[in-house]
Amino acid sequence: MEVSRARGSDSRARLSLKKKNLMRWVSVLATVMAGAPLCSCRFIPTADVQSLAAGPSQEKAFDPDKMVASDWAGKVIPYFEKKAGPFAEVRDLAAKSPEEAGARFGYRPKSGEVPWTLMVKLEGIVVEANTESRAATIGVDTTGKGKADATVQIGPALRGTTIRDALDFVSFNDFTNQIDFARYGKAFNLYVDHEVLEKLPRDALIGRKVAVTGAYSLSSPGETPLVTPVEITLGPKP
Amino acid sequence: MPQKDREVTVNLRHTMAGALFASAALLISSAHAADLIAIITPSHDNPFFKAEADGAEAKAKELGYDVLSLVHDDDANKQSELIDTAIARGAKAIILDNAGADATVAAVKKAKDAGVPSFLIDREINASGVALAQIVSNNYQGAQLGAQKFVKLMGEKGNFVELVGKESDTNAGIRSKGYHDVIDDYPDMKMVSRQSANWSQPEAFSKMESILQASPNIKGVISGNDTMAMGAEAALKAAGRKDVIVVGFDGSNDVRDSIMQGGIKATVLQPAYQGAQLAVEQADAYVKTKTAPKSEKQLMDCVLIDDSNAGKLETFQLKP
Repeated sequence: MEVSRARGSDSRARLSLKKKNLMRWVSVLATVMAGAPLCSCRFIPTADVQSLAAGPSQEKAFDPDKMVASDWAGKVIPYFEKKAGPFAEVRDLAAKSPEEAGARFGYRPKSGEVPWTLMVKLEGIVVEANTESRAATIGVDTTGKGKADATVQIGPALRGTTIRDALDFVSFNDFTNQIDFARYGKAFNLYVDHEVLEKLPRDALIGRKVAVTGAYSLSSPGETPLVTPVEITLGPKP
Repeated sequence: MPQKDREVTVNLRHTMAGALFASAALLISSAHAADLIAIITPSHDNPFFKAEADGAEAKAKELGYDVLSLVHDDDANKQSELIDTAIARGAKAIILDNAGADATVAAVKKAKDAGVPSFLIDREINASGVALAQIVSNNYQGAQLGAQKFVKLMGEKGNFVELVGKESDTNAGIRSKGYHDVIDDYPDMKMVSRQSANWSQPEAFSKMESILQASPNIKGVISGNDTMAMGAEAALKAAGRKDVIVVGFDGSNDVRDSIMQGGIKATVLQPAYQGAQLAVEQADAYVKTKTAPKSEKQLMDCVLIDDSNAGKLETFQLKP
């Protein structure tokens, strides 16, 4: 609409030097020209109204937070309980054969180029705590050597889409686009933060025992695994 | 017709262009009975799309196909005409980096109805079951990598600008979401301007110029792709603002060179060449054995590029 108006006034301006008689014709023409797009514009709002009407109902149909909440206890946790392996075993097997470790303890889509996501259960002592950042983590020593060999995300900001990517019953095919798929991934992080991590203390974590069920991505082999928990239990203060 | 000039048939090695010769060449090629694969992408002015088209073409030739390589210039109408051309020429498959998530659905369906399967690369469409494959970079994962690096370079605080891509392209939205899902966790990071420069280098240059005038007090620019990052970097340089941190997305050779010269600080590599080759392999499997990919929508993870690994980057691939 703005474009056609601008074009109309522009042609008026350009021809304003010409004779009055001609001017009349031009203004008639300009009005007609401006009017034609205006007529068709009336269709667009109708379509807009329709898509607007469809929009919110679609939004309602896609509610990632609700999907996560309703699947969590009945599907997600039992799946992790079944698939997760002891941390040392999974890590050592992944170093030797990512394919074998993935097949036994992990998941990745059959097509595309995405690394395995591996599910683990780990127990150890908190030896590092990075709680300054909103993407807070703890370093866990699982071997008793005094050095962190796993990093566990404790929120409130959680990086990545690891929980979503671990689930074999979730497919990118079932989502309209990457944006919805990302929202679904983020919804898991928000749920974990809210239901699992929020209640954790942030002070005096070092030295405490911790047990975690979670997943990590094999995106950077050789680096300390960054585990996103689905369950975490903190032992008493030492 | 301008679009005809842009068509590159593999057989047409000789520069004796002209419609007559083209149709003669076509007859010859059909006499040879090599199957044809059409590769349709946005303009090769952006090296990302050129790399994609090159990757697809190299793989298709390797597998014994003739290639028809076309560009739609992000014009959905032109794309529709090009798909008609591909159908009319009897292409066995179309490798497509499309001109709009909604506008493309009908064009791909038209090809499907004519018995020509489409294998999409780089950009998605808002429909499943129309194309046989949609192979896209894991833009959300990549954008989070880029944003994490950006936040670190910024010292977790300061004013910044976001340059966004073309609105009709889902990749513009998903990268922006990936950036913000990381950056918005840091309350001291303040976005002073967010503008679309439509993936374009000159547009990013002029947008950056006016942003600098309106808000000179900026510390960083995060861009939805590399060509816009190059445009912003050039404007900043022209204004003597070498202090401003710029992060891009794509992993182009231009940005690689800029990183190595201390200009742009980081980008995110999309495996464009590899993705295009994967699409051709899947098209080949379908042409030869009617085997469709196991999953239509496929993701390919991205890699952060900074001064530590820029030297290994060449034409959208990381050398070992």
